Amino acid sequence: MTAQTTLRYLSGLGLVAAIAGCDADAITKVNENPNSPTNAPAGAVFTNAVQSGIGRYLGWNYNGRGAALVIQHLAETQYPDDDQYKLFDANSTSGYFNTPYTSELEDLQKVIESGTEDERPAVAAPALALQTLIFQYITDTFGDIPYSEALKGDGEEAILQPKYDLQKDVYAGLLASLTKAAADLANPGAVTLGSADPIYSGSPASWQRFANTLHARLALRLINVDPTTAATELQKALTGPGGVFRSNADNATMRWPGDGAFNNPWADNFKSRDDHRLSQSLMNAMLANSDPRIPIYAQPTVSDPTKYAGMPNGLSATAAATWFNTSSRPGAVFYPGATAYGFYGGTGASFPQQILTYAELQFIRAEVANRGIAGLTAGQAQGFYNDAITASLNQWGVTNAGAIAAFLAQPGVAYKGGLDGLKQIATQKWIALYTDGGNAWAEWRRTCQPAGLVPGPAAVVNYIPRRFRYSTTETSANTENLAAAVARQGPDNLGTRMYWDTKPTAAPTCS
Amino acid sequence: MARRITYVLASAVFVLAASTHAARAQEPTRVQGLVTNDNRQPLSGVSVGIAALGVGAFTGDDGRYSFTIPAGRGTGQPATLTARRIGFQPVNATINLSATTITKDFILGSSPTQLEGVVVTALGITREKSQLGTAMQQVDAAELNRTKDQSIVNQLAGKVSGLNVTGSGTQGGSTKLTIRGTNSILGNNNPLFVVDGVPVSNAARSGSPNGGNATTGGMDFGSAVNDINPDDVESISVLKGPNAAALYGARASNGVIVITTKKGRATQGRVGTEFSANYSWDSPSILPEYQNAYGQGFGGDFKFVDGAGGGVNDGADESWGPKLDGRLIDQFSGAAQPWVANPDNVKDFFDGGHTMSGNLAFRGGTDRANARLSLGAENVQGYIPNNKFQKISGLLSGTMQVTPKFSADATLQYINNDARNRPGVGYNTGILEQFIWFGRQVNMDQLKAKRFDENGDLYNWNYNYHNNPYWIQFENPEADERDRFIGVASARYSILPWLDATVRGGSDIYALDISQQFAKGNLNWSVDPSYAGGFAYTTDSRSETNIDFLLTANRQVTSKLDMNGTFGLNRRSETFSSKIQQTNGISVPLIYNVSNAAITPTLAQNDTRRRVNSVFGSASGTYGGWVTLEGTIRNDISSTLPIGENSYVYPSGNLSFVLTEAFPSLRSNTLSFAKLRGSVARVGTDADPYSLQTTYAGDSRKFGALPLFGLGNTIANADLKPELTTSTEAGFELGFFNGRLSVDATYYQKTTDNQILNLTVSPTSGFTSVAINAGEIENKGWEVLLGATPVRLGNGFEWTTSVTWARNRGRVNELSGSLQTVTLGSAWGATVEARLNEPYGVIRGLPYARDSASGQILTDDDGYPAFGARRVLGNIQPDWTGGWSNTFSYKRFVVSALLDVRQGGDIFSISNMFGQYAGVFKESMYGREVDFDDPGVTFRGLNENTGQPNTATLTSEEFHHGLFQLHEAFVYDNSYVKLRELRVGYDLPANWAARLNSRAVNLAFVGRNLFTSANIPNIDPEFSYTTGNFQGMEFAPLPNARSFGFNLRITP
Repeated sequence: MTAQTTLRYLSGLGLVAAIAGCDADAITKVNENPNSPTNAPAGAVFTNAVQSGIGRYLGWNYNGRGAALVIQHLAETQYPDDDQYKLFDANSTSGYFNTPYTSELEDLQKVIESGTEDERPAVAAPALALQTLIFQYITDTFGDIPYSEALKGDGEEAILQPKYDLQKDVYAGLLASLTKAAADLANPGAVTLGSADPIYSGSPASWQRFANTLHARLALRLINVDPTTAATELQKALTGPGGVFRSNADNATMRWPGDGAFNNPWADNFKSRDDHRLSQSLMNAMLANSDPRIPIYAQPTVSDPTKYAGMPNGLSATAAATWFNTSSRPGAVFYPGATAYGFYGGTGASFPQQILTYAELQFIRAEVANRGIAGLTAGQAQGFYNDAITASLNQWGVTNAGAIAAFLAQPGVAYKGGLDGLKQIATQKWIALYTDGGNAWAEWRRTCQPAGLVPGPAAVVNYIPRRFRYSTTETSANTENLAAAVARQGPDNLGTRMYWDTKPTAAPTCS
Repeated sequence: MARRITYVLASAVFVLAASTHAARAQEPTRVQGLVTNDNRQPLSGVSVGIAALGVGAFTGDDGRYSFTIPAGRGTGQPATLTARRIGFQPVNATINLSATTITKDFILGSSPTQLEGVVVTALGITREKSQLGTAMQQVDAAELNRTKDQSIVNQLAGKVSGLNVTGSGTQGGSTKLTIRGTNSILGNNNPLFVVDGVPVSNAARSGSPNGGNATTGGMDFGSAVNDINPDDVESISVLKGPNAAALYGARASNGVIVITTKKGRATQGRVGTEFSANYSWDSPSILPEYQNAYGQGFGGDFKFVDGAGGGVNDGADESWGPKLDGRLIDQFSGAAQPWVANPDNVKDFFDGGHTMSGNLAFRGGTDRANARLSLGAENVQGYIPNNKFQKISGLLSGTMQVTPKFSADATLQYINNDARNRPGVGYNTGILEQFIWFGRQVNMDQLKAKRFDENGDLYNWNYNYHNNPYWIQFENPEADERDRFIGVASARYSILPWLDATVRGGSDIYALDISQQFAKGNLNWSVDPSYAGGFAYTTDSRSETNIDFLLTANRQVTSKLDMNGTFGLNRRSETFSSKIQQTNGISVPLIYNVSNAAITPTLAQNDTRRRVNSVFGSASGTYGGWVTLEGTIRNDISSTLPIGENSYVYPSGNLSFVLTEAFPSLRSNTLSFAKLRGSVARVGTDADPYSLQTTYAGDSRKFGALPLFGLGNTIANADLKPELTTSTEAGFELGFFNGRLSVDATYYQKTTDNQILNLTVSPTSGFTSVAINAGEIENKGWEVLLGATPVRLGNGFEWTTSVTWARNRGRVNELSGSLQTVTLGSAWGATVEARLNEPYGVIRGLPYARDSASGQILTDDDGYPAFGARRVLGNIQPDWTGGWSNTFSYKRFVVSALLDVRQGGDIFSISNMFGQYAGVFKESMYGREVDFDDPGVTFRGLNENTGQPNTATLTSEEFHHGLFQLHEAFVYDNSYVKLRELRVGYDLPANWAARLNSRAVNLAFVGRNLFTSANIPNIDPEFSYTTGNFQGMEFAPLPNARSFGFNLRITP
């Protein structure tokens, strides 16, 4: 073998070695993901959960194409399929069930876990309070839901098919979570969410008040079905550590940047869709008392710019189309300026959304006082009631004292006390909860106020929906647990009532 | 990228420079001769050689060959000299090696299909087909290029048994290919493409029937393999499954398509010039049939005010309006316009498409070195207005016999693919989307003439949902461009006369830039109306580099026993990178630059890498020329699987038995060839990169100033294993009447288990899915290839015919635990699923509710058909597919035609659902023939509450709206027959050709998709938005082009 040949063989062998010479460790390093980390800062996860969760339930699809139509704040002029409940089939509403679990609830779970592990109550507790709010929307929309076994898909003992908890137990869990959140925040520690919290900038005291106020909302839901627990929990809420909301300044508010990337979801929708008008139910209730919020809630009709009018819900496409110009669009504050179909002024893209308000708290107190429970007395009810309405008017920008006084003096508004008072509280709360269709819907189911809401003539069921249907994903991915829940709770249709909605006769406002 | 190209070039230089050995003078035996066909025309590219000695050569353009046998090798012995060429019967001759010059001429007879001869198999190794124990089919250039399609794979349609080709209709769109069904529920099921030994990407950026792809606007950017210029292809070998392809490793489970490009040849100093030119006229092959009796509106009423609901039903984009009787109605085009039908308004939208293409190639060389340079260009004016494609390609290949023992070759291809205003597909973004709705009275000319109103805003027939279709094509400029290099260099050294070593390095590298701009006022998501427009820019770059080392042995051990062996090493590195910048708001109109973004652009970056190291080998022995036994083994080590599971070994074995050689007495005038073969193989497939860890995804947009991160939705599995496909096949090949009739049939059965599934879990677990190994899919079926020359007359008339036929049954045998189904895709409530114990790809949805006793359809009290419980409504797999090709030649004329058939399988047609819902398709006339409400529809069925026949009457509008998402009504049989190719060719007289300094000049009339027969109305039944697994649903697909034109081909 010549030297040249030897060299050639050696270089060949060198190539072979170069190809083969890769140890197993080196090759698995190739599989390290350069795009996404396996850990993320709690603050960034929290912010994401806030915009995702609030954007969902106060946002457009669940609210504007769902709850706000059901509760007849809004109605649809074109393609009124939602308003006819046609798109409340399980397939269409599955996302309101599935996505919160996989997005904001799971993300908040990670924040709670890391905050707890690092002993940072001011990180974990706000996440827990916010998670409770999201769970409240889900259970109020569907009834029994996975709760105690939920969000454990990636644990050591992974639960991929969580069981459904009774709504009663879900509520008990949610109330306990709020108690814990408020208590933990009494000793918040040095590290807060800070600016990563777009609602309260990480303020432990604000989150404490939020937890207690939300506690009051949840406790009141149980007033018909379990008055004893409701009264106990209300008392606990109203006297919880750190107190409750003191004024509109304490409101939990979602301030949308309005930069095109993150806009107020209503404004985002109105950019290109012109389907929605004020419902006749809401508009007529407001017109009857010359409600000063009308020009904020709604715009004058196109056909008569001096006039505000609502349209009936649930019309056929042909009938609904005739209301296009003769009923009021939602207020200009919700419009982003230019839309695909015209210019509406306004800075709706950054218009803030109210998550939980002082007005609602005062309505809760008014009802609690009217019922004479949780340490309040009937004599206090009128004060709370007037304060609630005033707070709502202020919140919507009506600050003229004369106008407020005039409104409170309207015969339909002035507090009557007793059963009539309860009905007034419920009706005014329904009006005040405009833009929060989900909570307005829950309150209507609990109080039956305003009375006389009926589905539109083209609706596919002859009752106002009392829930949405379970997710089609669950039908295949969690079959047995879902079946057990349905067997327990009642048929998986739009008519089955919530746990807290099952004793209408015990509710004094229902008749 | 530059670095990689340098690398490829450096490899080539290395290979060429490493050889300094000079040949020593010898006293050889020289063998030479002329090979011609039946008509005494010289045949080029014929392989003539002595297999036992491993020597031989190809004929040049003049049909002549010559090679030398080194002194001492076999001198004085008889040897078998064989001449073979694809498409011809091989001929043997015995010569005595005598250390002089031996002249031996051959005449080869053509055969319509090939049972014997040299074929290209795995790793580009040429083998004698009769010795192969696995199923493969080779298609040569002439057959491939009979008619011209933009897509090389579309040109395979109907020509290979068991290869299912579904074109997309979109010029430059993707083609879905499967061989022997679908192995992997969620993984890749596309065959691997290998060009000159280098695996090339067939990745697609695809649309969907939903069209909901935010970054690309739901466009189908085509299959990357279509970059290969068909004029550069010498042959395509389809290795039909793991058995034939086991040496390719993980990606072989779906079969391999081995493409060999044309090479230079010894031309005795003359430069051979080849030229081809095509021109064709293209038009949509199928358009919907519309009703022309009623115009836009609802309930028989319409009056235009603002086109968004301000008038009477003027927000409607449906045609349930007034009868088109010429009455005067306010319309988008002005007040009090005559209300008349525009029956051709949709047809008027389409332009006549034109496709021009040309290819010019030169080749030349000596015994020692040769080269081929090819330049191709294609220019397509699409049938959609303002839609253009341009492709240029260049290929340079060279071979050098440096010394008798050392040779080197290299090939470099460059392709540039440039598309403008590619049409969108699907519901949200499709250009044809609004024609499934539409006002039947709309005059398309008015939309064409005017895209802006007096204020400079969008001018259209409807302002609620749709952009003016011309606006989409002219005001929202789209451009995409792919630059691609495919390079390979290899060096081969004969260590011993029977042992070669080869080193090969090859890369496929491309960059795809997609730019989509949206004008101010464009409806739908893409532009925030508060801003002046928007854009989305995407850059993909992809590379795959393979480095191989191969030892190949080929030795006649005894006079009866031939042994072949290979040993190889391979390292494959893949990278993919995608970067996206998009915003739906810019500040200054018409400046579509990131610097002009008014809304912070969304940025996305996705980089993935994969590496696989492999060792493989094969050994085969042929005894007596009639029995061949082969075994292969391969070990892959993949980066995407966890340590411990990332190294996996898989074997294969096959046996070929030529009965007519083993028992010569079997051979008769009737039976000329008979062979049995069988094979068993196993192949493993790794996971996608980064499947082992759950990660957080960031959002480039900040919430105010706050960063956002969210946890991913798949629970990663750190213990994934490879998917394993086990395949068995057996076949026979028979030749009759001396090659006039041949049959090649295969039965196969394969199962893929350990499927890597993203198992859907309850979302309440916090996740949508978990990655697991579970489940089994079984595919079994038949492939048959039949060839015949029924007529061959003395006057030169010949009729050859071939039939391909295949049926595959894919079934889901196992899933995980209680899991019943894996959803492959869904649209409007219907799903395509891999469902336990069902055929793969069932369509599920809502059926009519039926009376259990009588089977009659039930209605509700209002007379609407009632919906039943969700069930399986169909299956996307065809019962069988086939092609029938016929060629008639007489003197200078050749006429050939190819029918492509798909029988069975189902489609959920969303076009038909909405076309009826919207009252525009012809079918929506049901119930309104007389007048709007009279007679109406009294649906034939039983009232679900009373059990009595339904008597309630609906208007046609109500009835057709009532069918929305009643999926059963819109599941259709997907059978079709297409006249895929027609060619009438004429060879110009030889003296004309001589004047052009060429051997032959052929002029042909060619047509593609000239005729389609289908069971489904209104759409082209052949569609694919994607090369992914979600098939069987469509919305407004672009129909495949019917094209006809001319082809000129000059052969050197």
